[in-house]
Amino acid sequence: MILLELVKQEWLKGIRSSGFYKNVAVSIFLGVFSLYIGGLLFFMGFSLNKILEEVPGGTPMELFNGAMLYLLLTGLLLRFMMQQLGTVNLNAYQVLPVNRSVLINFLLLKPLVSLVNYVLLLVVIPFAVRSVAAYYTGGVALRFVVAFELMVWCNSLLASFLKRRFGSGLLSFVLVLVAFGAIFLLEYLHVFSLFAISRALFGFVVMNPIGLLIPAGAVVLAFLLNKWFFAQNFYPEKFNSKLQNSRTATANLSFLDRFGVIGELISVQIKLMLRHKRTRTLLFLSAFFLLYGLMFYTNNHYGDGMVFFCSMFMTGILMFIYGQWSISWDSAHFDGILTKNIPTRTYVLSNYYLMLAFNVICFILTTPYFLFGSKIIYMHLTAFLFNTGCNIIFLLFFATFNNKRVDLSRSSAMNYQGTTYKSFLIVLPIMFFPILWVNVLAWLTSLTVALWSLAAMGLIGLIFRKSLLNLCVKQFNSRKYIIAQGFREVE
Amino acid sequence: MIQVSNLKKAYNGVTVLNIPALNILRGESFGLVGNNGAGKTTFFRLILDLIEANDGEVQIDGQKVARNESWKPFTGSFLDEGFLIDFLTPGEYFKFVGKLYNKSEGDIALFLESMEEFFNGEINGSKKLIREFSKGNQKKIGIAAALLGDPQILILDEPFTALDPSSQIRLKRLLNDLQTRQGITMLISSHDLNHVTEVCKRIVVLEKGDVVKDIATGEDTLKELESYFAV
Repeated sequence: MILLELVKQEWLKGIRSSGFYKNVAVSIFLGVFSLYIGGLLFFMGFSLNKILEEVPGGTPMELFNGAMLYLLLTGLLLRFMMQQLGTVNLNAYQVLPVNRSVLINFLLLKPLVSLVNYVLLLVVIPFAVRSVAAYYTGGVALRFVVAFELMVWCNSLLASFLKRRFGSGLLSFVLVLVAFGAIFLLEYLHVFSLFAISRALFGFVVMNPIGLLIPAGAVVLAFLLNKWFFAQNFYPEKFNSKLQNSRTATANLSFLDRFGVIGELISVQIKLMLRHKRTRTLLFLSAFFLLYGLMFYTNNHYGDGMVFFCSMFMTGILMFIYGQWSISWDSAHFDGILTKNIPTRTYVLSNYYLMLAFNVICFILTTPYFLFGSKIIYMHLTAFLFNTGCNIIFLLFFATFNNKRVDLSRSSAMNYQGTTYKSFLIVLPIMFFPILWVNVLAWLTSLTVALWSLAAMGLIGLIFRKSLLNLCVKQFNSRKYIIAQGFREVE
Repeated sequence: MIQVSNLKKAYNGVTVLNIPALNILRGESFGLVGNNGAGKTTFFRLILDLIEANDGEVQIDGQKVARNESWKPFTGSFLDEGFLIDFLTPGEYFKFVGKLYNKSEGDIALFLESMEEFFNGEINGSKKLIREFSKGNQKKIGIAAALLGDPQILILDEPFTALDPSSQIRLKRLLNDLQTRQGITMLISSHDLNHVTEVCKRIVVLEKGDVVKDIATGEDTLKELESYFAV
């Protein structure tokens, strides 16, 4: 059967790609990380019962059912942003007598195999055992799990349809976000309750023996929608349509002209970020990270170290995301950078100033958090100084150890291509040093001393900027052959 | 203008380039031929300080190139797509490169106008990104960018491949023009013996990293090369 052959070849493509064996360290790290996350989810599934029992208004399952449509909508939103559209290596198959509908089916069903679709079962199964089977019967619990998984499939299919149909440009993203916010607001104002609908609907699905027909029907409907889309867009090029909208996002950057060569380099970097999917997704994500404070600042359980970490993270998110790869972004045209008339110092400076600008932007964007009190104000100011004085230099210096080519052309979120254990080694000290410092000093003396000392470090970094940058230039020069060599190796 | 002394490059103990001494004079047109793996690109990369030599050095105007930037303002080069910034439109790219060499917008516009024939009307003013152009047009963009800074030294790696026949002829005319009018020092590698003998006054043949022939181009050069490479 051809479908099976396609599956097999896709599998071979995975394990024979040259990146598969190389990155053992990264795989191990990611493996440990996913085990940790999995454990957390599993634990959450068990403890969810206890949390929901304290909430008035129904059994835990009824509450879960009420939240179900919200979960699905959130899932859809996340998928819309991050899910990759399945592609097949078309040219190779197009010339062979492979039936079109087989290709389409394969393309549509392949994402359902992805592990992402089954991770949440880690929460749902323990929950079903503890909260559904205990209150009702085992049959209900089973239907609960099956219904949930069917809705996840429906989500996955729906997301690929929406993405293919509407593209994943900024506009459609904003539209979805607005719709989502409107529903939430209506619920909040008691005008319209999605919660009640969801609760009634999934109550029926779970309690009634034939209820499962509804989610099953939804999956079939979503599948047919996709089929219909491909029937409408007959030509196979559409399979791999790369969602080309908004690619010439030519923001008017002419104001950078007066900064000479450094301005030119920065304007190229900004275009780089706007014109590649991978970097655009990162920009979206960092917008989300700016909301981190809502989680940390509203909760008194977190120690000062964690809260400061959060401030530092938010006021420097763009710097962290960009700086870690500040040289690697240029991998595809690094030889050009080295041979054109760009003094090394100018190149390093352009990265420095870009990150400085990022820090200023993030600092301004996070000023609304000042409403949380003067402690937050001090924290943000300290974080800004520390990020600008120390972390930029740190990132500039250690970015020279990333000598793996970063391929921006094929990619989207959750893309670890070009990641090595070094990338983690760079970030870890930045992450943990300040937490440790603040916690230890706040414990020994006071929070004020801890913050002042970090601010002082930042100021010292700023004062000695010139010599520190010279150090970075030297480091760049001594590593440039190794970097250039690494960047030339296309995976 | 370019002096090579005792230059050696090895990968994993295998010597891929070994040139005891080589001098390229100002205004000379220097053609480099050799089969795949002969060390042509390695040689160019060493001249451009993209890789580190195991031994010896390359000097431009009496200054060694390694970890030095003094040669960059007057050296134009295009070896492969790694020299292009492929997410820019050609216009943006030329403006960027022009700025690096202190060209005003007017200078750049004038230069691009002079390139119009070579571009065959397909590049100037196009809103496409460089990565969306064909290989041939990408090559033209790269060559033009190498020329944009009015270089005294021009280094091109296989400039004729991927170009259509008319463009090859136009490129030859362009290169000959640059030599006679501006006296540019030119280093060109090629697999096409016809083209390289037409453009270059001096041909060096590399084989497995060694210079095996160093000839001034004459009437019999093409024949000599053809018989050398005949199997």
